[in-house]
Amino acid sequence: MQHNGTLDRTFFALSDPTRRGILERLAHGPATIGELAEPFGLTLNGLKKHVGILENVDLVITEKVGRARECRLGPAQLDDATSWIDGYRRVWERRLDRFGAYVEERR
Amino acid sequence: MTDELRLERVIDAPPDVVFEAFTSHGGQLAFYGTDDPAWIVQSQCDLRVGGLWTVTFGPSPNHLYRHHSVFEIIDRPRRIVLATTESRPDRPSFDFAVEFTFEAQDGRTLMTVIQSGFPTPELRDEHGRGVPNAFARLERAIRASK
Repeated sequence: MQHNGTLDRTFFALSDPTRRGILERLAHGPATIGELAEPFGLTLNGLKKHVGILENVDLVITEKVGRARECRLGPAQLDDATSWIDGYRRVWERRLDRFGAYVEERR
Repeated sequence: MTDELRLERVIDAPPDVVFEAFTSHGGQLAFYGTDDPAWIVQSQCDLRVGGLWTVTFGPSPNHLYRHHSVFEIIDRPRRIVLATTESRPDRPSFDFAVEFTFEAQDGRTLMTVIQSGFPTPELRDEHGRGVPNAFARLERAIRASK
């Protein structure tokens, strides 16, 4: 299992509905800050704050395109979070397997 | 999408046998054990509502994990609900809720473990309001980003 500050920050980044909404939107393709702000009813600055938190843990990367800033998904840290959950699940699966074998062997 | 981590296993024994084993010392050692002969596992269980079940487990005396659980519901032989605190050597302890259910299925038992609660206490402390759905959120976000 992985335990590090990045993982904690990743969980924190994912704990907010607006930020998850941003990720869901970006899953369909890149979008500018303005395009992201509109459906959430946020100001550009408010939206930038959320994007900044996602950017800090590489869930999102941004790039200046002309006068706009374009956002897209950055997958690296999500892999960490996924593998943490997978590891956690595997520990409990092994416990169930061992316990099942114990019961069945005793019969 | 659900709000929890859910695991299932069909065990070839009826629910009363599985329930009895799970609440026995041997069954609890099996649940928290491994094949490693040096693996440490100790269990002390006061099986009653409000009773404490403490399990200490880990690869060496210097690297031990501990589950302190309080029995909240004991519905023999169908269901057990625990409020658990996990203490570990590498980070602060955290709380979660675990529900074990034992359903009859053609003479066998479908055993289900449902875990809810959030595994990073830092986050829980910072965001007390929304944390119980964290697994669901995380999975949703992961799915959305794939």
